[in-house]
Amino acid sequence: MDKYNIDEDSLGILRRGTSLYYAGSVIFAAGIVLLIVGVAFIIMSQIHYGSEPGKIILSVIFMGGGASLVLTGTNLMMKQTKYGYYITAAGTILALLALAIFSSIYPQGWYYPTVSYVLAMYIVGILALLGNGFANVVLWIISSKSETATRSSQENYTVHNDESIQRDIEEAVQSSIQQSSSELKFKDQNFGNVRLGKAFNESRGKTTRVKDDMNEADKLKRTTSGNKVKSGSSEVDKISSQLREAMENQTAEKGVIEKIKDRFDKYF
Amino acid sequence: MAKGLDIGTMNIICAENEGEDVVFTQERNAFLELDSSDLTNMMLDSAKVLYIEKDDKISVLGEDAFNFATIFGKETRRPMRFGIISPKEKDAIPMIKLIVDRVLGDPGYQNEALCISSPADPIDLDMNTLYHKKMTEALTKKMSYDTKVIDEGLAVVYSELADSNFTGLGISIGAGLTNVTLAYMATPVLSFSIGRGGDWIDEQVSNATGLPKDHACVTKEKGFRLGSEVEIGGPEGALTIYYDALMTYVIQNLNKKLAEITPPNVKFPVAVAGGSSNPPGFSKMFEKKLKEANLQIDISNINIATDPLYSVSRGCLIAARTQEGEEMGRNKNADDILQEIEEIGEGEE
Repeated sequence: MDKYNIDEDSLGILRRGTSLYYAGSVIFAAGIVLLIVGVAFIIMSQIHYGSEPGKIILSVIFMGGGASLVLTGTNLMMKQTKYGYYITAAGTILALLALAIFSSIYPQGWYYPTVSYVLAMYIVGILALLGNGFANVVLWIISSKSETATRSSQENYTVHNDESIQRDIEEAVQSSIQQSSSELKFKDQNFGNVRLGKAFNESRGKTTRVKDDMNEADKLKRTTSGNKVKSGSSEVDKISSQLREAMENQTAEKGVIEKIKDRFDKYF
Repeated sequence: MAKGLDIGTMNIICAENEGEDVVFTQERNAFLELDSSDLTNMMLDSAKVLYIEKDDKISVLGEDAFNFATIFGKETRRPMRFGIISPKEKDAIPMIKLIVDRVLGDPGYQNEALCISSPADPIDLDMNTLYHKKMTEALTKKMSYDTKVIDEGLAVVYSELADSNFTGLGISIGAGLTNVTLAYMATPVLSFSIGRGGDWIDEQVSNATGLPKDHACVTKEKGFRLGSEVEIGGPEGALTIYYDALMTYVIQNLNKKLAEITPPNVKFPVAVAGGSSNPPGFSKMFEKKLKEANLQIDISNINIATDPLYSVSRGCLIAARTQEGEEMGRNKNADDILQEIEEIGEGEE
């Protein structure tokens, strides 16, 4: 987890989010079912202003409850801070409480100003759920855009960390050592007064003779010079072969011209 | 003519062509110090023992150092350790120079092509091989050779994998190190070494059985066979156990290193060489372990070199001959023309 630099708070949110995501999905599905049932009930019962109070109450519970649950489910499916969850819970409670009050007082107690209070309670609940959801979506868009911005800035500017700096230094040191060692000239070391035994002059060591035509040397020459490379195109092979020959001739001719010049100076 | 030279921790081997033959000249890379006296000198000379005398001390060199070490119950001194010039041996460079001088001989002509092997940097030791590379190169250049240095693993590829266009994995299990090179069309893709080899086995066997290291080494090299049946209490049991441990260690490190690269999508043959892969039964055991390891690359087949001890020097000879051939080809036209000009010049005079 350290690799992704996630702090303890964020870890908690992710844990909550995982379990709440499934709960949110269930609530969202329940809300959709309620809305469908509500629409079907309204059509089948042909609800109008003068319909029976029981049918009106059921229609309002199906539609209002469905809308509340859909919004609650949507909010729960989004990862958010604990304050976001508080707002979601408050919005849901307000909306469901408003529906409960409506179903208990309708139609006898359904008059002003009670109507205003209940309606306001429901609207505040729904707006809280809508607002919280909208705020989360906006935050998500902003954060995903900032990620893009970070990536593009990484492309433009090389980010150096301790490891890459160390690697760069090592590469520079290695290449410097290679260069300086290739320029070194060694003098013979004086080993002091050493007397060699007689056997030193008699043989070079234990020898083993093996019959071997060593045709690998020719093969290696062909492989390294490109003759054997299967490129899939005979034309490419031909061209590479011609190029090699041309380069060899060029090198040889260059040597010849310089040497001929020297000899001309010498003889003529 | 050209020569190949394998400067190994245990042996220094020169390979060169003589007619249709390849001649390998070898000497042990070890010495033993004895007290000097006229009698000792006379005896050593008459027995044709290779030695040098300096400051009232005699240093017996090469194979004879091992024989004397066994007789006197001493341990030989080794100019090289872990595949490179030993920093702990003050006489390392003079001794290597003496042995190289003798094994290599004088060049047939000025700037004769010579290719020498050198270990790659080990992945499990805090060690750099550059100093060793430069010293051995300088020693042979001073002898008027045109020296090139190649990785030991690449020499194995050159020697053993010609049939696959020098594509494959070359493994040289030497005394000090195990060198590995993955090559594609003769070009090294990955080269590294692992800090264990035959010396590590000798050391472990010596610790386990109480035998001197040189004795363990001689047992390993003469008549030892890797198998499933060994005598209780004998050094063969310990040798088998530590050979198994060495193979596992090498293969695990190889797999780890292969995971770091993206090799070409082809099947790679494997060639194994080096003095420590000499015992009969090695190939069977190594092949089994390699197949069980599920390497990060596809393996087509596993070959143990026909003569593991000479494979690296032979690879060096192939590289030297290639290098020499290229230079001769480059100068061929120039030489012909120059000869003609000289003839004209002589006619004018």
